[in-house]
Amino acid sequence: MAECALQMTGIVKSYSGVTVLKDVDFTVKQGEIHALLGENGAGKTTLMNILGGVTPMDSGNIVLFGEEVRLHSPADSQAKGVAFIHQELNVVNDLMVYENMFLGHEIRSKTGKLEVKEMCRQCEEVFSRMNVQINPKAMMRDLETSYKQIVEIAKSLLRNAKLIIMDEPTTSLTLNEIDNVFAIMRGLTTDHGVSIIFISHKLSEVVDFCDSYTVLRNGEKVSDGYIVQPDGTKITQADIARMMVGRDVLGVEVYQEHIIGDVVLEVKNLTVDTRVKGINFDLHKGEILGLTGLLGDGKDELVRALFGDIQKTSGSVTLKGKPLNVKHPSQGKKHGIGFLPSNRKENAIIKDLSVQENITIVTLDKCCSGPTLMPSRERKIAEEYREKLGIKVANLANKITSLSGGNQQKVVLSKWLNAKPDVMILSNPTQGVDVGAKNEIYALIMELAKEGIGVIVASGEAQEIFKLCDRVLVMYHGEMRGELARGEISEENIMILSTGGLLQ
Amino acid sequence: MENKKGSAVIKKILSEYSIILVAIGMIIVATILQGSTFLTLQNFINILRNNAVIGIIAFGMSFVIISGNIDLSVSSQLVAVAALLISVINTTESIVLGLVVAIAFSCVLSALVGLVVTKGRVPSFIVTLGMQYIYRSFCMFFMEGGGFTGSVTAFKSISNTNLFGWLPMPIVYFLLMFALYFYISKYTRLGRHIYAVGSNEKATRLSGINTDRIRIISFILLGFAVAIAAITEASRMNSINSTSSGTAYELNAIAMAVVGGIAMEGGKGNLVGTIFGILILGIINNILTLIGVDVYLVNAFKGAIIIAAVLFQRKEKER
Repeated sequence: MAECALQMTGIVKSYSGVTVLKDVDFTVKQGEIHALLGENGAGKTTLMNILGGVTPMDSGNIVLFGEEVRLHSPADSQAKGVAFIHQELNVVNDLMVYENMFLGHEIRSKTGKLEVKEMCRQCEEVFSRMNVQINPKAMMRDLETSYKQIVEIAKSLLRNAKLIIMDEPTTSLTLNEIDNVFAIMRGLTTDHGVSIIFISHKLSEVVDFCDSYTVLRNGEKVSDGYIVQPDGTKITQADIARMMVGRDVLGVEVYQEHIIGDVVLEVKNLTVDTRVKGINFDLHKGEILGLTGLLGDGKDELVRALFGDIQKTSGSVTLKGKPLNVKHPSQGKKHGIGFLPSNRKENAIIKDLSVQENITIVTLDKCCSGPTLMPSRERKIAEEYREKLGIKVANLANKITSLSGGNQQKVVLSKWLNAKPDVMILSNPTQGVDVGAKNEIYALIMELAKEGIGVIVASGEAQEIFKLCDRVLVMYHGEMRGELARGEISEENIMILSTGGLLQ
Repeated sequence: MENKKGSAVIKKILSEYSIILVAIGMIIVATILQGSTFLTLQNFINILRNNAVIGIIAFGMSFVIISGNIDLSVSSQLVAVAALLISVINTTESIVLGLVVAIAFSCVLSALVGLVVTKGRVPSFIVTLGMQYIYRSFCMFFMEGGGFTGSVTAFKSISNTNLFGWLPMPIVYFLLMFALYFYISKYTRLGRHIYAVGSNEKATRLSGINTDRIRIISFILLGFAVAIAAITEASRMNSINSTSSGTAYELNAIAMAVVGGIAMEGGKGNLVGTIFGILILGIINNILTLIGVDVYLVNAFKGAIIIAAVLFQRKEKER
């Protein structure tokens, strides 16, 4: 029986009278990748913050590598061998890799001079242990996101971390990059006995890559166990989802037959410098068209060009029969295109504005009487969408940052719905959204199609594509590799086309 | 239940407008120290009138800062605009023409600054730092280091009459500008867009808003304010001086906005806060003079207040 790297027992934590963690037990065995699961608000972050020394617990016991510990600060936690890699990468882009790795722990000579050679050597040593090639003197900002992630992991190894907490490490990674990171994680556990706590909403990854799991719900541990049972059966995503939400969630059939009308958008030979090459497709009213592919496929540039965020180099776009030449998002909006961008924190959330103000920002003219903004009209529109989309918020005047990921995404969606677009483009619509809310958003997208809006869903999640789309276009290195009708949509078919293959 | 709701509302107002507390606190201190001289209508009128010109600029500056930029050139811009104003009045004998030209000129200058910042992608700090030198230098060149004096004495009446016999017109202009800019900030699309651009330019652009246009307009709003301030200032003595006029107006206007809660990173703060910032700095100056603090030390207090005000605001936010 493998030793336990971590044993947390009876953890209780309350914030101003609200109990967030109720007597939670959490055990991680040495050398395993252990998934910590739960909806937003279930208590995962709080539990990890306690382990990371960020928050004190009210009561409970923590035993790390056989030693009972009291963690009063992140420094304590790090000293005991715990590393916390947050969802938002804490890297300094303007410094080099080795400078990032040794930030705060620089190696100096007796005279105070920095020992660059030695630092680089140690970096290279860690990298070779991990089987990656990274130049220690490369600028952090020049690395791809997955490599930045790898540097964070390497940094924790350098600090001799034996337990690494990874919070949603794959949210901004492409499929290739995810495989890369997982290979390294696996290498760490098998070759070096490092234990990893893996927090994620992507159940497919949990089932494919993790050894065991613990599910929290409403501050309590509801279940834990091995991904692969002693008898050889593997736990399914549906099982996990059910434990997380307390009801059958994944099995819910989201797709519904709906009427598909005339062509609303025609794209001919659309080219955006070298990233999008001669794309042709039609979008119909009421249709949900999927766009998918791997790293560098160009789908992101394609949809941004349609909306006017970047310029097309050549090709023609016809919207509702009229030629469309958009050079700026304001034009895209004017012509009836709505756009829900990926990475909502940077691209869609206006953090200093309230929930209500974020909902109305696209369509302020509808709240005006003459030049004057009428607060009553604004509130009415915000209330309408709060109800329609089921946005969970105590007060519409609260800052939007107080909402969970799923609810924030609903706010971003409603801001475009109020513009009544003819074409709605959604890029990674459930990025960073937990399982329960994902289905709500899928249902909303279905509604859009039923109302006759032409919907484009650009996403790297094959499951998402499968759940929603009438047709899928798979891209590969800027070109359209193939089209799949509803009956042909499957993860394998998508993977074959995404990697440049052809269907038989 | 009713009581709980009431106190919650008060708490919210206090946390958002904590500067009101500071202002009230200062008035109390001042009353204790120099009650008889401080707490008079005449004294308050003095405070407002002394800060009206820079206060008007502070209202415009608030928009620029909220939109994510800064303007260091307003002091020399004011001198340039005032110089043009007086020249036009002197040559054409028409005050109205002078006013129109001055306002148009100031707005065009600000629009150009806005263009360089948006299309040229030069940080506003740099552009306005350069413009400050350029304006001042041209003024000194054209005015040969000295000043311009107006020849049309009627022009003086703009700043030197009293409404209802007791309220100096500069205060009226100050209050009108506040009303106008407050309305814009809270009750127009433009105002909302300015906040949005300052908070997250990318997300605002992707919401279908022409963010370059919004930022240029926020500069123009400042340009208009500078014009009104220039008119008020020039009309006071019917003159403007290339070396001595407008000194440190830009820093004072920024200080007023910042003490009033306009955050340098943009997207936050409001015009009501700015007015309190103006009042607080004005009252400080006033109290210190009344107490008899050495005139050279007054600025030390001003600096301390600026730092303390922002410190206090940050602590409130972190709650």
